[in-house]
Amino acid sequence: MSDEYRYIGKPTPRRDAPQIVTGSATFFGDLVVPGMLHAKVLRSPHPHALVTEIDVARARGLSGVKAVLTHADVPDWRAGTPRHLRVLDSTVRYVGDPVALVAATSEAVAEEALGLIDVSYELLPAVFDLDEALAEGAVQLYADSPGNVLRPGTRWFGPDCLTGLAIGDVEAGFAEAEVIVEGEASYAGLPNPLPPESPGVVAQWEEPDRVTLWLSTQAAHQEKMIIHAAFGRAVDVRTIGGACGGSYGSKFMSIQLIMQATALSRAARRPVRLGLTKEEHLAAFGLRIGSRVRAKVGLRRDGALTAISGEWLVDTGHYSLTTQAQVAVGCGEAQVALRCPNWDLRTKVVCTNRPASGIVRGFGGQELKACLLPILSRALAELDLDPFDFLRRNYVKPGDGYFWRDGRWYDYRGNDYTPAMDAGAEAFGWRERWKGWLRPTEVDGPLRTGVGVGVHGNVDIGESVSEAYVRLDPEGRATLYSSASEHGTGQPSNLLKMVAEVLQLPLERVTLTAADTAVTPYDMGPVGSRGTYAMGSAAIKAAEEARRQLLTLAAANLDAPPEELETRDGRVFRLGRADSGAAWMAIMGPERTIMGHGRFEPDFTLANCMMTFVEVRVDTETGGTELLRVVNATDAGRIIDPAGLENQLNGCLGSAGIDTALFEETIIDRTTGRVLNANLIDYKWRTFAHLPQMRNVVLETPVDSHRFHAIGVGEVSTAPGPAAVLMAVSNALGVPLAEYPVTPEKVLAAWKRAMDAQAGEATR
Amino acid sequence: MDRRRGETRQVRLRVNGQDHVLTVGGPAADVAVTHTLAHTLRETLGLTGTKVSCDRGACGSCTVLVGGEAKLSCSMLTVECDGLDITTVEGLADPVTGALDPLQQSFIDHTAFQCGYCTPGILMSAKALLLKNPRPTQADVQEALSGNFCRCITHYHVLEAVQAAVEAGAASATAPDSRRARR
Amino acid sequence: MRSFTHVTAGSLAEACALLSEAGGKGRANAGGTDLLGVLKDGIHAQGPELIVDLKAVSGLAEVSREGDEVRIGALATLASLDRSTLLRETLPLLVQAAHAVGTPQVRTMGTVGGNLCQEVRCWYYRYPRHVGGPVGCLRKGDGPCLAVKGDNRYHGVFGGRGCFAVCPSDLAVALTALGAVVDIAGPDGSRREVAVEDLYEPTTLTLAPGELLAEVRVPVPARPTRQTFLKFTVREPVDFAVVSVAASLDRDGPGCRDARIVLGGVSPRPHRALQAEEVLRGGDVDDQTAARAGEAAVAGAKPMRHNAYKIGIARTLVERAVRACLDA
Repeated sequence: MSDEYRYIGKPTPRRDAPQIVTGSATFFGDLVVPGMLHAKVLRSPHPHALVTEIDVARARGLSGVKAVLTHADVPDWRAGTPRHLRVLDSTVRYVGDPVALVAATSEAVAEEALGLIDVSYELLPAVFDLDEALAEGAVQLYADSPGNVLRPGTRWFGPDCLTGLAIGDVEAGFAEAEVIVEGEASYAGLPNPLPPESPGVVAQWEEPDRVTLWLSTQAAHQEKMIIHAAFGRAVDVRTIGGACGGSYGSKFMSIQLIMQATALSRAARRPVRLGLTKEEHLAAFGLRIGSRVRAKVGLRRDGALTAISGEWLVDTGHYSLTTQAQVAVGCGEAQVALRCPNWDLRTKVVCTNRPASGIVRGFGGQELKACLLPILSRALAELDLDPFDFLRRNYVKPGDGYFWRDGRWYDYRGNDYTPAMDAGAEAFGWRERWKGWLRPTEVDGPLRTGVGVGVHGNVDIGESVSEAYVRLDPEGRATLYSSASEHGTGQPSNLLKMVAEVLQLPLERVTLTAADTAVTPYDMGPVGSRGTYAMGSAAIKAAEEARRQLLTLAAANLDAPPEELETRDGRVFRLGRADSGAAWMAIMGPERTIMGHGRFEPDFTLANCMMTFVEVRVDTETGGTELLRVVNATDAGRIIDPAGLENQLNGCLGSAGIDTALFEETIIDRTTGRVLNANLIDYKWRTFAHLPQMRNVVLETPVDSHRFHAIGVGEVSTAPGPAAVLMAVSNALGVPLAEYPVTPEKVLAAWKRAMDAQAGEATR
Repeated sequence: MDRRRGETRQVRLRVNGQDHVLTVGGPAADVAVTHTLAHTLRETLGLTGTKVSCDRGACGSCTVLVGGEAKLSCSMLTVECDGLDITTVEGLADPVTGALDPLQQSFIDHTAFQCGYCTPGILMSAKALLLKNPRPTQADVQEALSGNFCRCITHYHVLEAVQAAVEAGAASATAPDSRRARR
Repeated sequence: MRSFTHVTAGSLAEACALLSEAGGKGRANAGGTDLLGVLKDGIHAQGPELIVDLKAVSGLAEVSREGDEVRIGALATLASLDRSTLLRETLPLLVQAAHAVGTPQVRTMGTVGGNLCQEVRCWYYRYPRHVGGPVGCLRKGDGPCLAVKGDNRYHGVFGGRGCFAVCPSDLAVALTALGAVVDIAGPDGSRREVAVEDLYEPTTLTLAPGELLAEVRVPVPARPTRQTFLKFTVREPVDFAVVSVAASLDRDGPGCRDARIVLGGVSPRPHRALQAEEVLRGGDVDDQTAARAGEAAVAGAKPMRHNAYKIGIARTLVERAVRACLDA
C-alpha cells in the first residue's frame, strides 16, 4: 500500500512456511515425549445414566497397561461454569461421556484394555433439546442447577457480567414504533468448528504437584489459567503450545482431556498422550452453542429501531465452559450491530444430554445475530426497507456506545464503517441485485437466485491482557517472547513484522520463542481478533522499550542524547546519519542482552466490522442451494499482512461459518442421543469443487489503536454470513425461513408452502 | 496356503527413493497386519509430514504418491504395500540440493495455507495432477483437489499457488528451446 | 483395529478357497476405501479373522470388448473406468457413474468389485464402536432398525424390508440400467451369473462366503442409446447419493423404442422404475413425457418421517435425465 513501512502491509512469507510445505512443521500429533504412554477413553453408550459398577480388573491385568482410572479413583478436579465438569463422573450425561481411562504402552493395547472393562449403568431419562430440558418435571442433569438452567454470568467478566440487556424503556420504544413484529428463529444446527487436527494433550506429572502440558491450543497461557483453576490452584502448571492444526476457538474445550491426561500421568508416573480420534472429535467434543430467540421488535419507517425485547435460550449441551461468556459477548455485539435505545433481552443457558457446546469463532454474537436478523427481516419487509440501508444506519458509530461484557458502558471511538459498507455494496452490486423482500433476483425455471446481507462486529479486539518481551542480542538480532501459537491466522509472523518494523531489523533477524509458560509472559492469546491490536500492542511496546534501552546505552557511546539516535539493521546512529554510528555489538558488548517488556491493558472502545453480501441459487425441484458469490467488506485500519488477511476473510465459509446456513450440522439421534454423522463423509464440509466467487473489500482508514493503526478482523469473518444466506434463500424462494441449515428437505417444504399459498390465493 | 499365516514376512517399501525392508509379525515386528501405510510412514519411519485427519479416506490429509498417483495412506494396509514406490511430502524437494519443488515454493509465495495441517495432502494431490497433466486448467485443479479437506478455507490461495507453479513450470519447460534458438 | 490373519492371494481361486474355509469370518480387500473404515469403526460384533488381499490377482483389472459385450474385471479401478475410451464410446453412463463416486483418491484406489460390494452407509449401522459402542440393528441380526423411528433422511423410500439402508453403489445403478450381469466365482471353481441388481437383498448381499465377483459383463447396445447419470448430493464430491438416476433411452427419431430408468439412493437395491420406463417406451418422447416419467418413477414410494423429500428429488432427477437424453 504505502511506502511508509518496511514490512507492515507488505507481502512477506509466513515464518513457518518452509516447515509447513516440507512437512517438517511439528503439530501436536507429531510430538513425541520420551517414555510417553498412550491413553484411550471408554465412553458411555447412554445419554444419561448413573454408573453403578465398573470392573477394571481384567483391563488392569493386560500386559502393557500402566494405569486404569474410573470416577472412583480420580482427583476431585473440576472445570466449567459452574464447576460441573470432573475428570470422570459417576453420572454420564451424553453418549460418549468418559467412563474410564486407560494409559498403556501403545494405542492398540489401550484400546484392547477398554474392551475388558465391564460397566453397569442405571439409566435415567434424557433431555435432548430446550423444550425437553425446560419442561416442568424434566430430569435434571445437575442437582445444583434447578430446571437445567445454569447460573447466569461468569466471574471472569466480573460481578456485573452481562446476562441480558435491560436498556431504556421498551414499552415506550414500542409506542414509538411504526411497525412491531414478533417472531422466533433458531440457529441450532450445532455445527462443529472441526479443526483438521483433532484435539489432544500430552501430560507429564512430576511429584508432588507439578505438571507439564504440551497442548494443541492457540493460547498456552490462557489454558494455564483455566487449568490452574480446575486443579484447585494446587498444582504448578506449565503449558507449552505449538502448531495446533486449526482451532477456530475450539481447542480451548480440551480442559477435560487435559485433566484426564494429567490424572493418568500421575497414576502411571509416565508422560501420557491423550488424543481424540476424528469420531470422538465429532461426537464427544465442542460444538457451537444452540440458540433460539423469540423476540419482538419495534421499527420506524426511517429505519430506526425503537425497541427489542425477547428471550434468547441457549442450549449448551452437557456442560458449559464459556457459554455464559458467549451470552455476555453476544449481548454486547448485538448493540454494536443494532443501535437501539430500548432493549429487554432475557437469556437462559440450558443443559441437555448431548456433547457440550463451546468456543467457536463468532462466540455468541454470530449465534444471536443469526436468530435476530430473520426476525428483524420481517419488520423490514413490512416497511419495505432495504436491509443494507438498515444495517448501515444502525451499526455503531463514533459517539455511540454500548454495554460490553463486563456490564459497563463504553463510548465508541473507532472508525465509522459506512464507507467500507458502501464499498462492499458497490463491489457486490447490491443496489442492482436487491429486488425487495421475498423477491428473487433472477428466475430461470426452477432456479431462483436471491441476495442477502449481514453484519457483525466485535469489541473483543481489545479484550484482556497481553504481555510480551523483546530481547536484543549484540549480534544484531532480536527475539520475541510471546505466548502466541500458530493456529492458522499467521499472527505470530505478523508480530515479528511489527517488532522488525519498530527495530528496523531485517525480518529474518527477528525470531519467536515457542509459547511456553515457563518462558513466555502472560497473554490471553490470539482470540476474538485481538491478535493485531492487543497482542500487537504488547509486542510493539516491548520492542519500543528494548529500543529505548539500546539507545540510552548508545547515547554515551555516540555522544548524543537518545532522542537524536535511531537504529537500523543492527546499527545505531545519529538521525539521518546512517553511514556513521556503531553496531549493536560495539554498543552492548558481547556479554549483554537487552530485554524490553510490553503490556497491553484491556480496551473496549474500539470495534471491528464485517459486512457480508451473498448471492445464492436455489433449485426448487431438488431443494439444492448453491452459494454463488460472497463479498466481505471491512476496514482494518491498516493491513499488516495482505495474504494472511485475505485468507482469514476467505475463512468465512468454513469452520462453522457461512456453511452452517447451507449444509453444516451435527445430527443427533432423538431416540438414542448418538451423534449420527461423526465422520467426514456425513459431516459436510466445503470442497475445492464448489467455491463461490469471493471478493474481500478492505479499507485502510487509520484507527487509533497502536502505532500501526491496525485492528484485527479475522475471527468475525464467519459471523455475518449465515444470516445473510438465510435471507438470500428466503428471497429466492419468496418464503421467510427461520431455521438453519437450509437442507434440501427444508427448502422443498418451504417451496411447497409458497406454492400452496399461491394456489390458495388463485382460488380465492 | 496356511504357511503364509501367522509367520513373519517382509514388506519392501521404497519411500522418497529410500528402500526399507520391514518385518511383519514375529518378535521383532516393525509392522502389525493392522497398520495402515499412514501409520507406518509416521510412526515406524518417522515421516510425520503425512497427516491423518479423518482416518477414513474422506479428507485427503494422508494423501501420498504411490507410483505417481495420489492415494490415501490411511486406507492402505502396510502389508499390502510390498514393492510400492511411495513419495511423501518429505520427498518433494530435491534430495540432493534440497531445492524445493516449484509447488512448495509457490505455496510459500502465495501463503497457500493457514493452519497448515492439510497442506502436505494438498501438495501431494496437486503434484499427482501435475505429473499427469502439466498444464491443467483451474477446473482441473479444483477437480484434482476435490478430495482434500481444508477447514481454514485456503482454497483460493491454493488455486492461485498451483496455477502460478503451472505457469512457472510451463515457462521453464520452454526455456531450453529458447536457449537453443539463441545459439 | 482388531487383529486378523492376512493373506495375499495369488489367484481368484485361492482367494475363494481361503474365504470359503473361513466361513463368514473372512473378508476380501481390494481398494480398501470401504473395508478399512469398517474395520477401524469396529461396527460388527466380531471383526474378520481373515483378510485376503486381492490386489495381486492378475487379469482382473481389464476393461475390454468381446463381441457385443464389454467385460470389466472386478479389480478395475473406478479411475480406469473414468478414463476408458472404450467405455466413453460404448457405455458413457458407466463413465459418468464412475466419476460420480467419492473423491479422486477414492476413485484411484476403489475398484468395481468393491464399489458393488461395499457395506451400506446407514449411520446407525456404521456408528463407531469407540464412541459408546456399536449400534445393533436388524441388518446385523441384533435388534430392530433404528432408522424407522430415528433420523431416516438418507434411508430408502422403496422396497425396504425391516432394514431401510440404501444400496450405496453408484455403479450398481448405472450397471442395472445397462442390463449388466456379474460373474461370480465360487470356492470350488464354480461360476455363476446374476443380474447386478440381484446382488442386493434388503439386509445383505447375495454372495455366499467364498464367493467373489470376477467380472462385470455389460451388453453393448445394438444401436447407440442416449445415456445419462445424475446424482444429487448435499455437497460435492465425497458424498453418497441422496438420490441418483441412470437413464438409457433407445431413441427412434422423436420416439423411444426402449428405456431403462433406474434410481439409486432410494432402495436396498438399484430401483428399476418400471412405470417410468413404460411411459417412455413406444411413443414420442418430449419434455411432457419426461415429466410424466418422473411422476411415474416415484409412484408407490413409501416415505418415512424424514425422507419424503427424496421423492421430489427422484421425480426431478428422472425428468431431467430423460430430458438430457433428448438433448444429447
